[in-house]
Amino acid sequence: MNNVLKAIVAVAASAAVLYGLQRTTPSYGEITSPIAVTGKLGKRIAANAFVIGVVKVHLARTVTTKSVGRTQTFTSSGVWALVEGAAEARSESLSLMSAQWLGRDGVRYALSQRFSTVPGFLPSQRLEPGLPQPVLMAFEIPEDQVSEGTLLIARTAWTPLEEEVRIELTGVGPDDIRPALVLARSEGAVPWTLKSE
Amino acid sequence: MTAAAAPTGGERRRYWFSLAALAIVLPAAIVVNSWDSLSEWRRLNSRTPLTVERGATQRYAGAQWQLTSLTRLPEGPTGAIPIVAEFEAVVDDPDLLKSPCAVVLVDDRGRRWQPAFLPSRVVRQARREAADKPRCGAFPNAEKGKTIMMAATFTVPGSATGLTLSVTVAGARPEYLVFR
Repeated sequence: MNNVLKAIVAVAASAAVLYGLQRTTPSYGEITSPIAVTGKLGKRIAANAFVIGVVKVHLARTVTTKSVGRTQTFTSSGVWALVEGAAEARSESLSLMSAQWLGRDGVRYALSQRFSTVPGFLPSQRLEPGLPQPVLMAFEIPEDQVSEGTLLIARTAWTPLEEEVRIELTGVGPDDIRPALVLARSEGAVPWTLKSE
Repeated sequence: MTAAAAPTGGERRRYWFSLAALAIVLPAAIVVNSWDSLSEWRRLNSRTPLTVERGATQRYAGAQWQLTSLTRLPEGPTGAIPIVAEFEAVVDDPDLLKSPCAVVLVDDRGRRWQPAFLPSRVVRQARREAADKPRCGAFPNAEKGKTIMMAATFTVPGSATGLTLSVTVAGARPEYLVFR
C-alpha cells in the first residue's frame, strides 16, 4: 500500500514538473529576440556594431518640406515625430534599416517613408567607422502614444539575435506638439534644418 | 525497494563505462552532424591573405592583379576623406573570374570600410576617369589576355592610417588579396 501511494505521488510530481516546464518554455521568437542595449534621450549609446545618440524629438501636426522650387505640406491623422540624432559605425560600414517607435501601449510604429528622400534619413545613410553622421527619423503616431515612448533602432527588423538599441524618450509629451514644422535641405554639416513656423 | 537485486560487479562496470563513453560520443555526434556546415564555413571564410606590395602583381582567381593607385583626396567639410582605389586584372582564365568580387578598405586598427555605391560628386570632379571605371563585380565578359580596369571609392576619417585594400573573388576563397 505504501508503495502504491509512493508511485502515485511520484507520477503526480513528475506530471507537475513537466507541466511547469511546458508552460515556461520560451517561444522561438523569445529565444531569438533582439539583444537590447538601453539608453536615454540625449546620451551616446554604444552597441557592438554601431553608436547612436538621439539629440531631439520634434512633435508637430503638419510638416512642410522645402527643396529647390518645391514646397509640400504633409498632414497626419496622428502626430508627426521627427527625431534628430547622430550615428557612427564602429568596426565596419553598415546601414541601420530599422527604427520603430514603441508606444506605451506596446504598439510599434515603423518609420514613415514620406520623408525618405530628405538627406540624412536613417535607412538611406551609410554609416562609416570613425565618421559620426547626422541622422533623421520620422514617425506618424497617435497623440496618446507620444509620451513614455521608446525608440528601437537595429540594423534590420528581422535578423535573429541582432543588437537593438532602445532609447527611452523621457520628457517628451503632448505639450511639445507644435502646429507646424518646416523641414528644409541645408548645405551645412547637418544636411537639413528644422524650424517651427 | 528491497526486491531489486544488488548490482553485480559486471553491471557496475558497464554502467560507468557507458557514462564515460557519453563524454566522447556526445561531442562526436555534434561534430558529425555539423560537419557539412563547418566545412562550408571554412571554405567561405576568407582566411588566407595573399599580400601584394605596392606596384607588384599577384596571380589570383585566374588573373594577374595589380593596384595601380590609392589616392587620398582633400578632406571634406565634415572631416571625411574620400579615397579612390584603382586596380586592374589581366585575365588568364576567364572561368575562374565568373563569381562575384568584393573589395573592402582596412586600416591598421582593423576597421573596415565598404566601397561607396556611386562615386560622390567630389570624386567625379577630382578623378573623372576613375569614377567612370567599373566597380569590382562579376566579370561575365572576361576574355583571356584582356585587362579589366576597376575602381572603388571609400570615405574614411582622418584618423585612418595604414590603409590596405582587400579584394575577394567568391570562387577563389579562402584566398584573398591584400594590397599594401
